[in-house]
Amino acid sequence: MRVIPAALLLPLILAGCKREARETRLDPPVAEALGGVRVMANGISGQPPMVNAAQGEPYRNNAYQLAQGKRLYEWFNCQGCHADGGGASGPALMNGWWRYGPDAVSIFVTLRDGRPNGMPSFRDRLTTEQMWQLTGYLQNLGATVAATAAPSRNDAMQTRPAENRAPAMGALPVSPDR
Amino acid sequence: MRLAALPAVVGHSITPVAAAVVDRELGQPWGFRVTGWAVAALLAMALPGNVGAAEVPPAEKELTPASVGQLRLAFTFRTHHPGPATQAPLADGKTLFLLTPFPHTLYALDLATPDATVRWRYTPEADGTARGRSCCGEGQGGMSLEGGRLYVNTLDGRTLALDAANGAPAWEVRTADPSSGESLASAPLPAGGKLLLGNAGDRFGVRGWIAALDAGTGRRLWRLHSTGEDAEVGIGAGFRPLYPGDDRADRGVASWPPSAWQQGGGGVSGPILWDAGSGLVFHGTGHPAPLVPDQRQGDNRWTSGLFARELETGRARWFDPLNSHDLYGLGATASSLLLDRDWRGAPRRLLVHPDANGHVYVLDRGTGEILSAEPFVPVNATAGVDLATGALRRDESKAVRRGRMTRDICPASPGAVTGASAFLPETGLLYIPSRRLCMDMEARNANYIRGTGFTGANLRLRPADGEGQGALVGWDLEAGRPAWTVPERFPLSGGVLATGGLVVYGTLDGVLKALDARSGAVLWQFQAASGILSRPVAFRGPDGHAQLAVLAGSGDGPEAEIDRRDASAEDGMGNVLRDLPRSPDPGVTLYMFRLP
Amino acid sequence: MSAFLLRCVLPLLLLAGCSGWQSALDPRADAAQELHGLFWLFTITCGIVWAVVMLVLAGALLRRPAAARPEEERGRAERRSGRVVGGAVAATVLVIAGLTLASFFATRGISADHPEALVVRLRGFQWWWEVTYDDPSPNWVFITANELHLPLGRPVRLELAAADVIHSFWVPNLAGKQDMIPGRDNVLAFTPTQAGTYRAQCAEFCGLQHAHMALQVVVETPEEFGRWRATQVAAAAAPESAEEVAGRAVLEGKACAACHTVRGTAAAGTLGPDLTHVGGRRNIAAGMLPTTRGAMAAWIADPQTIKPGNNMPMVPLSADELQAVSAYLVRLR
Repeated sequence: MRVIPAALLLPLILAGCKREARETRLDPPVAEALGGVRVMANGISGQPPMVNAAQGEPYRNNAYQLAQGKRLYEWFNCQGCHADGGGASGPALMNGWWRYGPDAVSIFVTLRDGRPNGMPSFRDRLTTEQMWQLTGYLQNLGATVAATAAPSRNDAMQTRPAENRAPAMGALPVSPDR
Repeated sequence: MRLAALPAVVGHSITPVAAAVVDRELGQPWGFRVTGWAVAALLAMALPGNVGAAEVPPAEKELTPASVGQLRLAFTFRTHHPGPATQAPLADGKTLFLLTPFPHTLYALDLATPDATVRWRYTPEADGTARGRSCCGEGQGGMSLEGGRLYVNTLDGRTLALDAANGAPAWEVRTADPSSGESLASAPLPAGGKLLLGNAGDRFGVRGWIAALDAGTGRRLWRLHSTGEDAEVGIGAGFRPLYPGDDRADRGVASWPPSAWQQGGGGVSGPILWDAGSGLVFHGTGHPAPLVPDQRQGDNRWTSGLFARELETGRARWFDPLNSHDLYGLGATASSLLLDRDWRGAPRRLLVHPDANGHVYVLDRGTGEILSAEPFVPVNATAGVDLATGALRRDESKAVRRGRMTRDICPASPGAVTGASAFLPETGLLYIPSRRLCMDMEARNANYIRGTGFTGANLRLRPADGEGQGALVGWDLEAGRPAWTVPERFPLSGGVLATGGLVVYGTLDGVLKALDARSGAVLWQFQAASGILSRPVAFRGPDGHAQLAVLAGSGDGPEAEIDRRDASAEDGMGNVLRDLPRSPDPGVTLYMFRLP
Repeated sequence: MSAFLLRCVLPLLLLAGCSGWQSALDPRADAAQELHGLFWLFTITCGIVWAVVMLVLAGALLRRPAAARPEEERGRAERRSGRVVGGAVAATVLVIAGLTLASFFATRGISADHPEALVVRLRGFQWWWEVTYDDPSPNWVFITANELHLPLGRPVRLELAAADVIHSFWVPNLAGKQDMIPGRDNVLAFTPTQAGTYRAQCAEFCGLQHAHMALQVVVETPEEFGRWRATQVAAAAAPESAEEVAGRAVLEGKACAACHTVRGTAAAGTLGPDLTHVGGRRNIAAGMLPTTRGAMAAWIADPQTIKPGNNMPMVPLSADELQAVSAYLVRLR
């Protein structure tokens, strides 16, 4: 008789084995829909593609996508001008101030089209999916609230608080307007 | 009080202060005090106030150690520009010219009026892309004055000539292309009817060059590169190679992996010098790109070295590889000085170059032979220079390899000295604004995408030891060692002015200091509202009074948007400048001081 | 009868592993030869030991129980078994010592240093190989990917490094395995003794596509090797037809140039394999596809279906662009 409760328990335990089904290949229609960003006339903010919400905001909430964003941040020379978020010839990305607004669409458009003060356009260098991965990572880096997901830590030089410690949190510098 | 007694009183009141300061700073006993008193006494006797006759009015005072204490702030001129001011003002008797950082505005201030009204201003067109090309207090263009004309290099790659009297543009040419990462970081040099300039952009993988334009029309006469085949570098019949290996053909290609020289760096971003007597032009070439040495095996000619070229054609006469196969992104673009002095008994024509690798190089400027190379800051990456080969004796434990982190490399990138040094023949001392920093360098993989950074390494700087992150070194040129050192809290970036027995310079936290050139004692200082990255200038105003001007503005305000919680911000300087006090007024401001 | 025949024939199929282009039992270099000899020495010795042990065990199991034997035999049996055990211990010590010595000499043999060795630096990435040929004069230093050419009879020294995670280089016909560990330099040295094409693969689990990370090793005569090296050092072949010119424009203008290098064009990316002479390689995608125009186009069009999870993104290209760029790349020999 003791066998029956044990037998009932086993399927429950096995149900917990559902691991994340990682999508390595984005369906081309989804990839194209991700590029369907409707930007406002001044180039700042706009309507994000609906497919983002439909997929549950993966570029913000999924650690794999954030880790890919972090890899792309190094691979595509962001550190040459923005360091590890602290800025050099380009502005800081971890201080919580966003020149063109903090929402994802503004950051995506910055990457896709470039900006007037020296930010190059990555339209012909990155795919739409990669740009969204980077966008999610940048929002994670510049977040002032701790996020639920984070990429892995740096291998060697740890230059700033890790992303899962919300490096932009803390005393914000004075606004440029003042 | 009789006029004659005044200087003596002044002299006597300054000397105890000077002596006390000397004692505290250097811990030297009575010997220095005696010297201080003796100098003050001599000055007191020499000052013209001792002349009693009343027919000749007393000549106005010179700026000297005795009189510097009387400097008063005459006026300030605020431009409200948020960027880093690296170009010093130029004084032309009646007019003072100012160039703000990018986007540039040129001001001509009328010195004859008491508060310097603006006689004219000029704003050249600005290509906004260039704003993202200059980092960390690097130079943003420059200007020079010659023959009634102002020649201006703008950061976004334009060279213009204006009439200095009214600001009317004479000509404008585009010389650099910011979309590839190129920019102009220093002032053009007018020389013999030509205008010499070089590009910047090593961190973007831009191939370096130096060009000569016709000063009258702006037409390009020649342009020669820092990497590539001999014909493109200017290596020809007149070239006299100094070391074995450099006599082979096309070293600018053969000392690189195939095609790597095309993104090789070597920009001529520092000051260019001209020796009218020999008709030679001297300049340094920047560091090779990328920073990761594994991706550019070989000696990487002709980067990180000093060139001597003929002014007429640009053909190279000699080349000194100061940092062959540069491991640390140092380059050789720090400013040099041309001196004609006795060296070890014989008169020689020298080129003195305090280099980014931490050594003071003394060269014979005719042949390029290195006569002496001694360290002026703590150095551990190398153990001196082998004078026979000109090569640095490298320490293997500080080698940089892809995928590794190398710690505590001294000196740190961008080098042990970035500002202009100065020399005073009467003291025989070279005044070097040094940076005493070490760095951790993590070399990763450098990927080339046109218009983006091509470095591949993460840097984190830290102080070399507990004695200050910067220092003004009073270097005894003949002896090859420091006579005295004044430690500074922050690394020194601006140039040094040496005149009339004084050494004047500004610090990153905005302190303008005047030291006694012989002893290094601080005689006078002034706190400006923003950090000082440029060289002070001293001149005699239209009313005959000695004046001192400095353009303050470190570009460190909120507009720069730098967050120093990241230690690698600003090429690793973020780690070192966390304590830098916030500027009360970060805009570029001219401070004009006057001796009454 | 047929079941019995099947049981006799099936083991013979295992002999298929004894030869071929990825077999440690078919040594073609001195290091592999040493290891091959060591392998058979151990196998045979241990096989004999195993057989002897099994026989003794069988004897012990099938022997009459001790109680059934008479008293006087027991004492003699005790002494006899004591001698047997002593002998077996001595034999074990000798065998182990012998095998240890054999192993020591073999290992020393394969790590010998040759001053005139050809130095090649192999860097493991997820999931491809970067191969850099070293040379005293820097403009003969060139980078290729996923294919290694070696001259016959000349010692070669492979300096192994890894860019991201631990990989391991294993070319069974030529040498043993050697790990590639990030931040550490390992060396694998051997001298190939027979010409041919061999297959190497990654031998340390390194992620999603570890199983598809292969490398071709081509051992050829020194003259052929010299010719190959000269071709590799040269810049990419100039495009000839209009389609190839368009293909080069696609390579430089689209995302390809951000990750790949084709020397002689504006593409100088270092994130993916060097493509300067990709058309001359036997395989693309680290041994997954042959180098044909169709396979190239299939790979560029959809790398994630062929090798899911690898770092090459699916770059959206029009049909014309895909045709052009695949034509251009296949021509880069």
